[in-house]
Amino acid sequence: MEHQDITHHWSRRFNAELEAVRNNVMSMGGMVEDQLRRAVEALERGDSALGEEVVRDDHKVNRLEVSIDEECSRIIARRQPTASDLRLIMAIIKTITDLERIGDEAEKIGYLAARLALQERPVDRYRGLRHIGDLVGGMLHQSLDAFARLDPELAMQVLRDDKAVDQEYDALTRQAITLMMEDPRSIRRVLDMLWVGRALERIGDHAKNICEYVVYMVHGKDIRHVAIEDAEREVGGENG
Amino acid sequence: MTPGPWGYVLFRFAALLGAAILFGTLFGRPFAWLSAFLLAYLGWHLWHLWQLETWLRKKLGEPPRDAAGLWGDVYAKLHRVRLQSRARKKRLARVLKEFRKSTQALPDAGVLLDADHEIAWVNKAAGKLLGLQREDRGQRIENLLRAPEFVEFLRQDDPERVLRTSSPVDPEMRLALQVVPYGETQRLLLARDTTHAYRLESVRRTFVANASHELRSPLTVISGYLDALAEEPDLVEHWREPVQEMARQSERMRRIIEDLLTLSRLEASGAEAERERVDIAGMLASLRKEAVARPERPAVIEVEVESQLGLWGAESEIYSAFANIIGNALKYTAADGSVHIRWRLEGDEPCLTVTDTGVGIPAEAIPRLTERFYRVDKSRDRATGGTGLGLAIVKHVLQRHGAWLEVESELGQGSSFTCRFPAERAWLKD
Repeated sequence: MEHQDITHHWSRRFNAELEAVRNNVMSMGGMVEDQLRRAVEALERGDSALGEEVVRDDHKVNRLEVSIDEECSRIIARRQPTASDLRLIMAIIKTITDLERIGDEAEKIGYLAARLALQERPVDRYRGLRHIGDLVGGMLHQSLDAFARLDPELAMQVLRDDKAVDQEYDALTRQAITLMMEDPRSIRRVLDMLWVGRALERIGDHAKNICEYVVYMVHGKDIRHVAIEDAEREVGGENG
Repeated sequence: MTPGPWGYVLFRFAALLGAAILFGTLFGRPFAWLSAFLLAYLGWHLWHLWQLETWLRKKLGEPPRDAAGLWGDVYAKLHRVRLQSRARKKRLARVLKEFRKSTQALPDAGVLLDADHEIAWVNKAAGKLLGLQREDRGQRIENLLRAPEFVEFLRQDDPERVLRTSSPVDPEMRLALQVVPYGETQRLLLARDTTHAYRLESVRRTFVANASHELRSPLTVISGYLDALAEEPDLVEHWREPVQEMARQSERMRRIIEDLLTLSRLEASGAEAERERVDIAGMLASLRKEAVARPERPAVIEVEVESQLGLWGAESEIYSAFANIIGNALKYTAADGSVHIRWRLEGDEPCLTVTDTGVGIPAEAIPRLTERFYRVDKSRDRATGGTGLGLAIVKHVLQRHGAWLEVESELGQGSSFTCRFPAERAWLKD
């Protein structure tokens, strides 16, 4: 009886630790989403101050990645998680790497937005980029929702959405070529624009990766019962 | 005392004991008889208890058993209590169902959160406005509404504060969010769709800005010609006065438009004012010089300044706010009155107080002073040539600096206006 109490206690603490890490991942996700949103806004409004702010704030994302990474190592070392707990930890470690990269891409967009703000603005005010930005922002949002809800259906949906981003990126490239041929003086600006498009397209790919981890995490298990399994496995995990 | 069943019970028990004693004396072995009678009595009660227990286990529809005396009474009372509690339960369930239905139908999103910000319940509108689903119960809300702005708002946990932001579902949709605590640790998160109001507000803002801008150019032409005309020596004498009046009025109109533009600029700029060093002592000195140079002015104008004390803020905005407050004091104070201007730290908050011995403001007008074009006394203000926008500008400037305006006044005795800035905006010269 006493033994059972102790293991129960341990498993509860373990669950709380896992939950805390997961919450940190979500807040890191929120931060990255905000960075992306502000970077695209800086580009659209030609707001160099906002762009620079995005660049400055990237270290917050990096710091969070390092601390989540440490927490995960500690959990693996101390708790030796198995099965779905292990899959969760693995998925978290991979996810934060992708989130950190997305943060870097957003930083790049912020930097380019600040630079583009100082140059002549095209008539369409980067509407094409804004459109890709909205698509990618939606993908990122949904992939994080899928992560929070452990929803492989939604994750599959995001994987399908990435096609649209790729198509838009191709269209942007074609448009850029036309612009450069029309007016060679605009080449510098158009190249920067292409870099932004490239960064957005990369963010879409990273969001796709996150969705793949969600599917990995959930695959073959009825995730609605994770909480009970955790408790049962924890008893075995402590003994082994 | 109502004659309960106890009299009957006691009577029967006494009769039983009597019978036992009678049999004991008649047939000998009185204790054996007494025990036998008591055992029989106990058995009878146990049998009734067993009957009661089986009846309680049955469904409620079963009528109570007929029994004499005490047991009949217990059955009847229990039956009544059970019927009552069933009726109450049904009523509660119905009320609860109605309540659930009505909260589901609410146009505002409602989310119940428990101590750890886990979602306990969401209504239908929460799906439309916040993208939360019924299956999200048990999730921490920060995991789904991840915007750092929202997380910070939730952490502050201030029921007074309203967060205005765009919806996570649709960036075009504007929401007003509020967190209301209830129970011991629970929170109710409310979200209202304010897209319509937001759009109207921005349409109004751009309209005022554009209209004032468009009015300015024709007015410049008119007042230019009027100025030239007023100085024309060949002007017919009986036109001189009307032309001068026209020039004065067009000048006033120009000032109204300038004020409107200032206001819309203040509204359009961000919520928080910049932080530049503003030398208030120097500013008040030049404001005093302007005041003294006025042709009509109160006899006494005193300025009392802590010259070391400056402010972090936007200089031009602070200037127009202070100029408006001091201008009002000068305007409404008679020639034999006095105006006292004081700039100092109160506690650790920088304060500007302007006290006059002027006409004063009726108490019911004070809360409305900062409304646009609000006039305390319709006739008098227009005569003094105010634009009706001065205090509205003051309010906006102070808002942007996190400061507030305190007004005290007594009719016929004078008024006192105080701008109180937050402590963090003070800086001291060394």
